[in-house]
This record gives sequence, structure tokens and C-alpha cells, in this order.
Amino acid sequence: MTDRIKEQLSAFLDGELPDPESALLVKRLERDDELRGALSRYSLIGAVLRSDGDVPAARQVAARVSAAIAKEPFRGVSFIRVPSRGVALRAAAGLAVAASVAIGAVLLVQQTGSQDPAGAEAVVARAEVPPVQPVSDELDGTGTPPEIYVTPPATDTPAGIPPAEFANYLVAHYGYATPLVRRSVGAGIISDDDPSLIETAPPGDPNAP
Amino acid sequence: MGAALNNASYVGEFVSESAERTERLAITHRVRDGVVSERLVSLTGHGRELVRENDEVVVYLPDQKLAIIERRSGRSDLMGALPQFEGRMASWYKVDWVGRETLDDFGPTAVVAVRPLDGYRFGYRLWIDVDSHMPVRSDLADGSGRVIERLRFTKLRFDDNIPDSAFEPAVDRRKLRWVRQSPQSEEEMPAWRAAQVPPGFRLSVSGMQALAGAGSPVNHLVYSDGLATVSVFIQTPEPGKAPMQGTTRSGVASAFTTVVDGHQVTAVGEVPPRTLKFIASGLRPAAAPADATPAAASNRHD
Repeated sequence: MTDRIKEQLSAFLDGELPDPESALLVKRLERDDELRGALSRYSLIGAVLRSDGDVPAARQVAARVSAAIAKEPFRGVSFIRVPSRGVALRAAAGLAVAASVAIGAVLLVQQTGSQDPAGAEAVVARAEVPPVQPVSDELDGTGTPPEIYVTPPATDTPAGIPPAEFANYLVAHYGYATPLVRRSVGAGIISDDDPSLIETAPPGDPNAP
Repeated sequence: MGAALNNASYVGEFVSESAERTERLAITHRVRDGVVSERLVSLTGHGRELVRENDEVVVYLPDQKLAIIERRSGRSDLMGALPQFEGRMASWYKVDWVGRETLDDFGPTAVVAVRPLDGYRFGYRLWIDVDSHMPVRSDLADGSGRVIERLRFTKLRFDDNIPDSAFEPAVDRRKLRWVRQSPQSEEEMPAWRAAQVPPGFRLSVSGMQALAGAGSPVNHLVYSDGLATVSVFIQTPEPGKAPMQGTTRSGVASAFTTVVDGHQVTAVGEVPPRTLKFIASGLRPAAAPADATPAAASNRHD
């Protein structure tokens, strides 16, 4: 994929590509598996990472992608199997999301069609669950991750951030984190393993909800 | 896809695992008339809760008889308050279709990997339920693919009729002391700026806000590459308080604090500690002469 095409794709996803160029890009999407795969992946991930209900742009992206691929034959769609699920989940998903499932399935199928030569049979049966590792404190000078990670101390200097203040910073940061990560941050805030939050009210605080 | 992703209301439980802890939480999420409500409840401790309604978050700490209100502002939205997955991000992340995988609790999922192209950010592996398009499991990984935090749903039930009462905290609110961390002013121009940021990071929010424990309002800057975000807090020194220097972390989030130009500068985010150090160490008063431009290319390792 050339840089020019990447730029066009970027502008298209951002809704900034002029209509004439968008039309040309859509035509190219119809015949370019790689480009279509890239578009699908980016839009899918973007929508998922922002799937917090308060990001209308995700819908716009999804709509653009859907429109772009609407003319495409749905290659491999047959391998999307309706899962045998628990009653609760099945009932919950139900008809309410049926229409959107169809669109999502197309996206997923097209990704597979363009990238996964094994196609329908390339189903990973069960994931290996790798162990969760501690956060590495530093990379080496080349930026290459070290071979062995050593658990850094929770605070690397005696004068580091007191736990209570750290928690307050986390609360202030929480709202700006990516929705997917935000839950992790939220879990950290309300975890009992975490430090107590500082109890000092800021100046001028009304001390009331 | 958009409808399912953005309008889904659900009730569930998930497990957050890191090297330091395993936390089980209940989640209630509702989108109604454009209002997003969410309640997280810790199931493994004292019943701490976090309740969000749009931009306002309340953290309930019954064990401390304390509640903290945090309101995200729409101030000086230079890039967009929320991270955006833009085409430009292809320069910093590589998105790969991994395949499909059957999870015991959810059946078939689509697996997608978002790999960082340098050491300044983490990567993600997402298991997306093919029915609902919900990410039912996500692994946060460092640049070499080592998982450092895993979040996985163990229960999930979609429900379009979640009542308001589901977002009421279980704690007796009358017995709590309330602390408010709110934005206090907008800034047309940030008073501070980063002389250096990792490639792809841009300033998205800037403003002043009250912060619990701080003697005066703090300057709050938010930098984002579209997926990862870093908050930077700049505080004037408080009499009698020793300056801080060092790194602290909790699960996926880390913080680095240092002193710059007589101010306590603290960077917080779900990025490698080196990213926080890089940004925080480069903070300068806006009046200072520009000595660098963002994203020194030499610091990119890709």
C-alpha cells in the first residue's frame, strides 16, 4: 500500500476526504483486498476501542465503512456461525442486534478473506492463556524490550508519589483514558489492594455532593 | 456494527488481572437517550464503587467513608477529549487480524492484535464477540507481546431495560464525606506545554482543576496518540511539602513525578513508565522558548 493510499485511507476514516476522492477510493476498495482489509480492521478496532456509547464518531466510521463495502460480494460469509451460547447472552443479544451483527460479520469475514488463507477453517480452537507479567519499568537504550523483565518496585524512590496521591491522580485521569483501558483504570481505583485515597478536600470544596 | 457497539446496555462481571492483583468486578452499563451510565463495583473487597454518568464520575469508598466526584471537562478541546482511532495511528500501531477463537464463556470471537511500533506505548489483543461486537476479553501487552494486564468478562447479559436504581450505590451516601475534583477554568492557551513528546502524541486537553490533596488548582494537560492517554498535572509547590521524584504504578497505570522549574510535574497514564518520564521531564512553562518540537524522530524505535 503506498503512502498516498494510506493518506487517503486516513482522510477517509477521519471523514476528511473530498467526495470525488472518496468515490475513487470506494471503487478501489471494491477490488483491493488489502486496502479493504486495512479499512475494516481500523474501523473495527476504532469502534471497539471507543465503544462507550458516547462517541457518535464511531457510528459515522461504521456507516462509512458499511457504505464502502456495501457493493461487495460477501465472500466467505457462510463460515460465520451462529454460536451456541448461554441462554442469557443469546436472549440478550437477540433481535436487537441482529442487523448490526450482519454488518459486523461482513467486516470480519472480509478481514479473514483478505488475510487468512485458511479461510473458514482457520478457527483457533482455544486460546493459550499466557501469564500476566509485571510492567517493565524501562526499555533498553535501543528501545528493544529486554529479554527478561524484573518486577520493579511499586515506588522506585523513597520520595515517590504517596499511594493516596497516586489514587487521586488516577481518578482525575480516569475520564480521559480510552474506554477499553478505562475499566482497567477504574478497577485499579476501586481495588482494595490500592492505596487509600487522600482525604483532604481541595480548597473551596463545597464538601457536598 | 455501530449500533451494537454504541448503544448496547448490559450487565456483567469481569476479572481484571495484573501481576500484582486479581480483581473481580461487576459492571452495569446503560446507554439511554445519549446518556451513558456505568457502575463498577468491586466484588473482592469492601464494595468500593465507581459510578459514571457521562462526564461525571463518583468514586465511593465505604471503607473510608469517602466519596470523590470527578468531572471531566469539555475545556479547550484541542484534539477531541476522547481518544480517536485515526488513520494516522497506523504509524504508531500495527493492527493485525489474528483469527477466530472460541472462548468458553462466549463462544466464537474475532481476535485482533494492535501492536505498538515503538516502546512508548502498550499493545492490545482483543477478543470481540461475533454476536454483540463486545470486546469480551482484552490483553494489554508490552512491545514484546508480554501480557501485563488482562480483562475478561465472565458474565454478560444485554438488557435494554436497566432501571435507574441499578446505578444507585449500595453505600449510604449520607455517611460519606464528599470531595470534588472539578475543572475550574478553561484555558485558551496552555500555561505549560511539553517540549518533547513521543511520536504520535498530541495535546488534546488543557485546563485547571481542583485535585484532592492539592493546596491549589492544578494545571491538567492530556496527551494522546489516539489510543493511549497521558495526563500531566502541574502543581505549584506547597509550603512545607518536600518535592517528589519517582515512579509509582498500579496495574496498567503508572505515574512519574518530578520537579520542573520549581513545580511538581506528575504524568499518569496507561503507558510504559519511560513514556511518562519522557513527557514529564520535557514539560516547560509556555512562556519558555521552544527548544524542541513534539515527537523527536530520533526517539522513535520502529
